[in-house]
Amino acid sequence: MDILIIQILNSIFYACILFLIATGLSLIYGVMRIVNLAHGSLYALGAYVTAWTIGTFAVGAPIWVLFLLLPAGAVAVAAVGALIEPTLLRPIYNRPEEYQLLITFALLLILEDAMHFLFGGVPLTAGAVIDSMGTMRVMDLRYPVYNLLVIAIGIAAAVFLWAFIYRTKFGVILRATSQNMRMASALGLNVKRVYVQAFALGCFMAGLGGAVVVPAQAAVLGMGIEALILAFVVVVIGGLGSLEGALIGALIVSFVRTAGIQFFPEIELAVLYLIAAVVLLVRPTGLFGRA
Amino acid sequence: MENQVTRRNFLNSMAVGAAVAVPAATYFAGPRPAHAAIKAKGNIPDKPFKTGHITFLTGPASLIGEPGRKGHLLAAEEINAEGGLLGKRKIETIIADEAAGTDANVKELRRMKLSENIDMFTGVISSGNTPALGPVAEELGVLTLFNDGCTDFLFDKAVPKPKYVFRVTNIQSADGVTSAVGAAKAWPQAKRIGSIQPDYSYGRNVHEHFTLAFQKLVPGATVVSEAWPKLGATDFTPHITKLLSDKPEVLICGLWGGDYVAFYKQALRYGLFDKMKVATTLAFGGQPHAIGKDHPEGVLAGCHANYFFTHPAKGRWPINDSFVERYYKRWNEYPSFEADGAYSALYLLKAAVEKANLLVGGWPEDDVIISLLEGMGMDVPAGYIYIRPDNHQGYKDTVIGMTKNDPKYDFPVWDPNSIITIPIRDITAPPNWPKPGTSHNESTAAANWLKTTWLT
Repeated sequence: MDILIIQILNSIFYACILFLIATGLSLIYGVMRIVNLAHGSLYALGAYVTAWTIGTFAVGAPIWVLFLLLPAGAVAVAAVGALIEPTLLRPIYNRPEEYQLLITFALLLILEDAMHFLFGGVPLTAGAVIDSMGTMRVMDLRYPVYNLLVIAIGIAAAVFLWAFIYRTKFGVILRATSQNMRMASALGLNVKRVYVQAFALGCFMAGLGGAVVVPAQAAVLGMGIEALILAFVVVVIGGLGSLEGALIGALIVSFVRTAGIQFFPEIELAVLYLIAAVVLLVRPTGLFGRA
Repeated sequence: MENQVTRRNFLNSMAVGAAVAVPAATYFAGPRPAHAAIKAKGNIPDKPFKTGHITFLTGPASLIGEPGRKGHLLAAEEINAEGGLLGKRKIETIIADEAAGTDANVKELRRMKLSENIDMFTGVISSGNTPALGPVAEELGVLTLFNDGCTDFLFDKAVPKPKYVFRVTNIQSADGVTSAVGAAKAWPQAKRIGSIQPDYSYGRNVHEHFTLAFQKLVPGATVVSEAWPKLGATDFTPHITKLLSDKPEVLICGLWGGDYVAFYKQALRYGLFDKMKVATTLAFGGQPHAIGKDHPEGVLAGCHANYFFTHPAKGRWPINDSFVERYYKRWNEYPSFEADGAYSALYLLKAAVEKANLLVGGWPEDDVIISLLEGMGMDVPAGYIYIRPDNHQGYKDTVIGMTKNDPKYDFPVWDPNSIITIPIRDITAPPNWPKPGTSHNESTAAANWLKTTWLT
C-alpha cells in the first residue's frame, strides 16, 4: 500500500516535470510551427542556472532566499529565448522546414557545450532546498515534502497556462496568430511581438521545469537530450500543439513508465516507444492533435 | 683466441651492464631523476611522436573521460620535459571527442592514421567503442593502448588474437566480482540481492558477474529485485521505490557519472540507504569531487579500474604520492582511475621503447616495442600492472573500500581501515582459458571460469 501511494506520487511528480517541458515545446510549435530541438537543452539550462545561482550566492543564506532564487533558471531561460527568436529563428520562417531543424539542432549542440564550458563537467546540485522541507512518513517509507511542492507548481502552471490562453486578450491574440498568421497580421496584430512572447513563454516553462527539478535531482550534462526525447514521446502521444495533449501525454508516459519499472523492469526502455508507436498507428496526429 | 677474455673486453661488458642497470632501476610511471637520464643507442630522428587520443570531452561521460585526457597530457608533458621519447621524439597528441559516436570514432581513427600518420593510438572509454575500434586498429596496423572500454568482449571475441592492440585498465568482469567479494566480506548474512544497473552492456556485465560470484560466496543468495534505468536517466524515484518494495538486503549498483550522482541524491531522501546495504562498482570512478559530502558513509565504493587516489596511502607508495601531487598541481583536482590509466599507458610505451632501443639501437620497429610490451610489468601510481602476453590485457590487483568523510577533503574518500585488495588472479580467468564460443557459451571467459572453478 505504501509502495502504491509512493509510486503514484512519483508518477505525478514526473508527469509535472514532463508537462512543463512538453507544454513549452507544444506551445512553440502551435504558434510558430517550429519544432524546437533545443528545447530539452533549455530545460537543462534552467536547471544549471538555478543550481549555480543557489550554489554561488546563497550558501548559508536563510531558506526563504533559496526559494526566492529558485525561479532564476526559468527567468534566465525566458530571457535567452527572447534573444534566440529574433536573431536565429526569425530569418528562417520563410524557408523550408529543414532549415529550422538544422538551426535548432545546432542550437542544441551549442547550448550543451556552452553549459559544459560555463558550469563545468561536474554535476551541480541544490540539495539545501529539498532538505529544508524534510521528508514525510508514508507508513513504513519516506517521501520528500519538496516533491509535493513541485506537484503543486506543475498543477498551478497548467491552470495558469489554460487561463492565459483561453481567458485573456493575449490568449486570443496567440490563438489567432496560431490559426492564421497572415490574417492576424492583416488585422493589425504585431506578429513579430507575439512570436517573441510565445517563444519566451515556451522557454520559461522549460526553464521552470529545470529549476524545480534540480533540488530533487542534479544538473548533469546530457539531461537535456534525455528530456527532449521524452518530451517528444509526450507530444507524439498527446498531439503536437495541444495544451491538453501535453497534459494527458505527460500523465500517460509517466504512469506507464512507473508501472513498467515496478512490474516489468526489463522492458522499461521499450514500453514508452511502444505506446507512441501504437498512438501513431491509430491516431497519427496524437490524441488531441489537429490534422 | 677470440673467446679469450681480455681486460678491455671485460671492462666493456661491465660498462654495458652498468648502462643497462641504471635505467632498469628507473622504469616506473613518473619523471626520471636527472642523474639517471638514459643515453639512447644509435640515431634517433627528432620527428615528433604523434599519438591520437579519443575520450569523452562532452556529455555526461565526460566526468569519466576528462581525467583520461588530463592523465595523458600530464605524462606527455613530463616525458617531453626530458626531451621526449629516447630524449629526442617529443610527444604530440591529437584529441577527439568520443561522444561523436562509434561510427564517427572509427572514421576518426582511420583519419588519424591515414592522414595524420599517428605513431600510436590511445584513450577510449566506452565498452561500446573498443570492440569497434580494436579490429580497425589491427587492420591499420597502428599500435594501440586503450586506457578503458574494458569489456571482456574485446579480447574474448572482437580481437581474440591481438597483435597491435593492448588495453591498460582491468577487465570489466572484475568489477562485479570485486564488489561481490567486498560485499560478501562486509555483509556475509545478506541473502536477498537487489540490482540497479544502466541498461547496456556494462550494467548487464556487472549484474551477471556480481550475482555469479556473490552466490558462490554466500550460498542461498538470490536476486529479488532488478531495476534497469536507461543510461543517462535522471529520475530514479520509481526504481528506488521498486527496490524498496522488494526489500533486498544488499544492493549492487553499476550506475556511474552523473547517473550515480542523481541516483544517490534521490535514494538518500527516500531512505534507501537506511533500508539496505549498498555496493557499487563506479561510485568513485569519476572526478572525485563530483560526489558530495552528503553521500552516506559505509557504502562499498567501487572505482572500476582499481585506482582511487588515497590508496596506496601517503608514504606507502611514493610513486602515488608524487603522482597525486603533480596531477593536482597541473589540473587543480585529484586524479581518478582513468587518469592513472592514461598516464600509465604512456609510461608503459616509454619503457618499452627504451628497452627496445637498448636491444636493437635506433628507433625501434613496432614489432620490437610490441614484443616488449607483452609480459611487461611496471610500477604505476595504482600499484603494479602486468600486461598479459596471451590477450594483451593489463591486470592490476583490484581494490575497493567503504565511503567515509574526511575533513581534509570536500568529498568522501575510502575509510582506510575498510580497504581490501584482491589478487587479480583470484578473480579472473587465467591465460588461455577457453573463450566464449569455443568449449562453452557463457558471456565471458571469466564467467565460465567462475562457474566451473569456484567452490560453493
